[in-house]
Amino acid sequence: MIPHRRTRGEAASSRAGSDGRRRSRPRRAASDHGGKRCYISRMGARIRQRRLPARDLEAILGVTSALAAPFDLMTMLAEVVRAAKQVLRADRGSVWLHDPRTHELVLEVATGLQPVRVPFGAGLVGACARTREIINVPDCYADPRFDAAVDRASGYRTRCMLTLPLVDHHDVLVGVMQLLNKHGGVFDEGDEALATALAAQCAVALQRVRMTESLIEGERMRQALEMAREVQMSTLPRATPIVEGYDVCGTFRPAELTGGDTFDAFVDHGRLVLVLADATGHGIAPALSVTQMHAMIRIALSLQADLGTALTQVNNRLAQTLPEDRFITAFIGMLDPATHELRFQSAGQGPILRFDAAQGTCDRYVPTSFPLGAMPLAAPPPAVRLTMQPGDVLVLVSDGILDYRNPAGEPFGETRVERVVQEHRAGPVADLMGRLLDALEAFAGGAPQEDDITLLLVKRDPAGHRRKRFRRSIDALPELVAFTEQVFADRDLDPGLRPTVDFALEELFTNMVKYSPMGTADVRVDVTLVEGGLEVAMTDHGVAPFDVSRAPAVDVDAPIGRREPGGLGLHLTRRLVDSLDYAYDASRQESRITFRVTNRARSRATMPRQE
Amino acid sequence: MLTIDYGNDGAVVAAGRLDAAQAPTAQAFLDSVQGTVTLDLAGLDYISSAGLGVLLKTQKRLMSSGGRLRLSGVRPHLRDIFVYSGFDKLFEIEPAR
Repeated sequence: MIPHRRTRGEAASSRAGSDGRRRSRPRRAASDHGGKRCYISRMGARIRQRRLPARDLEAILGVTSALAAPFDLMTMLAEVVRAAKQVLRADRGSVWLHDPRTHELVLEVATGLQPVRVPFGAGLVGACARTREIINVPDCYADPRFDAAVDRASGYRTRCMLTLPLVDHHDVLVGVMQLLNKHGGVFDEGDEALATALAAQCAVALQRVRMTESLIEGERMRQALEMAREVQMSTLPRATPIVEGYDVCGTFRPAELTGGDTFDAFVDHGRLVLVLADATGHGIAPALSVTQMHAMIRIALSLQADLGTALTQVNNRLAQTLPEDRFITAFIGMLDPATHELRFQSAGQGPILRFDAAQGTCDRYVPTSFPLGAMPLAAPPPAVRLTMQPGDVLVLVSDGILDYRNPAGEPFGETRVERVVQEHRAGPVADLMGRLLDALEAFAGGAPQEDDITLLLVKRDPAGHRRKRFRRSIDALPELVAFTEQVFADRDLDPGLRPTVDFALEELFTNMVKYSPMGTADVRVDVTLVEGGLEVAMTDHGVAPFDVSRAPAVDVDAPIGRREPGGLGLHLTRRLVDSLDYAYDASRQESRITFRVTNRARSRATMPRQE
Repeated sequence: MLTIDYGNDGAVVAAGRLDAAQAPTAQAFLDSVQGTVTLDLAGLDYISSAGLGVLLKTQKRLMSSGGRLRLSGVRPHLRDIFVYSGFDKLFEIEPAR
């Protein structure tokens, strides 16, 4: 909008004895730009008409450079008022900022005055904001719009006042500036033109600072979210629990905005405790409430509460403390590795999938209760009991996976989860997890992740599976050799495969020892029988990523002077094995190398060199 | 385990496993040999890249003073390793009889 000049006389022309001066409104100038109003050029035209004295121009330019510096609102407001007072030789000045949310004008700076809010349209300030016109009042006490209460409160006497709208380049009303009591007289037409030019500068400068401040506010919010995130992440298990006869793997991939997922897997009194939960909403609150719930579950179970009691107690506590519209879906399970019985409660978390290895199908289990905190629970619901058979996989996924939508708006869904599980159930669960995440990523087709993604997989070792952990030391090599020797003897494997298996194991193991010296965890080796041979998975956590499958090739044809032993081990491993895959889970800093050696590899390895 | 010592015919005989754990033992022994040396590997079941590194270092040292390391009795699966690593071009290799 164009700020038009309006004098008290125009606004109150019917008043007898008015000393206001009336001028015609320069409407034509507004239409000169094809309907697109151009504030600056019109101001320029007006200033040119009046022949701005060099002194005034100098003052305006001085203000422009002074207003370039401040980056915080209070400094900028003070600077604007100081500049306006100086340029217009006013005794006092104030800036009212427009609050577009409440449609009020807020007095942020006024010497000797408390902050005040004025509705749009009320008084001189409100009228100026509404009409976006300059109001020049030579005698305030003769103008009914003037509020003398301000003077009474401050003890100051306002004689004359110039009220002008602050409108930026984009026609946005930033606020209203008031200048009081011109030294040695009243504000005249020249002052109005000068003030108008000044107002444009001030409006732009103020708007710039406001945007900067909102960016800073956004940054503060981001930092708060990050802190909540850290709290949430700190409760996640740092290492996979070691459970005889079971392979456990979980991951958590946070969405950019905080979601409220968590998971846990730990051994308590010989039982494997499994938790996967998802608090509704985004932002700091769900991250913190799910963290709180997680802690309560841990405490309840460590005090030997049974599942139903833990669920009921935690639920009832959350029902009291969570806001009305919030709740947490949660799976809490306990697996006895001796009897293979899994008992679980699911508060709105579902479906729970169990891959039945014998049938080759997935069973789906519905929740046993409503989400935690939704309302009080009178009595614990009956838990689900099932027995994990060899090769069975328990699949817990948060709805960040099930509801992940592709660009066509289709959700990933549990059927796709089941398909991936059926296809990749044979290998270690860490591998299955990687396949699930890959499938999800491929499905998403670049669509952004909008919710936390959490996965928890538990697999009972199939018959014939062997697993062992090795100290991260070259001294553990003889144990590795003894392990493969035992595996080959037990499984009646082709002894011709052994040199290759040993070679790959040693090279990859020494690589882990050499290049992750800070790693403290053991290296885990899983051996699974496959047709014609075996698949070995080596898992190393608390380490930086190093993709052994992409290590640079060695120039084996170089003359001896340029040959170095470095890199040769991986180079040869890649040549000797059927396949070599590398995966890294950043959330657990876990490297996993999988290689396969079968009769096919052996026949290739013993072929004369033809390449 | 690895054993490494002079045999009856003056060749160095290495037997067992030449892996990363045993490489320092092999290196210490081979650092003492001079001139042109035959290394009898007929009893060597296994070699890893750490073992290859020991052989490479020894070969470089001997060649700088006009000598060299010859490998004899190399078994098929070891030969694959030598071929894939290009070591067959750095060493004179005599296969196992």
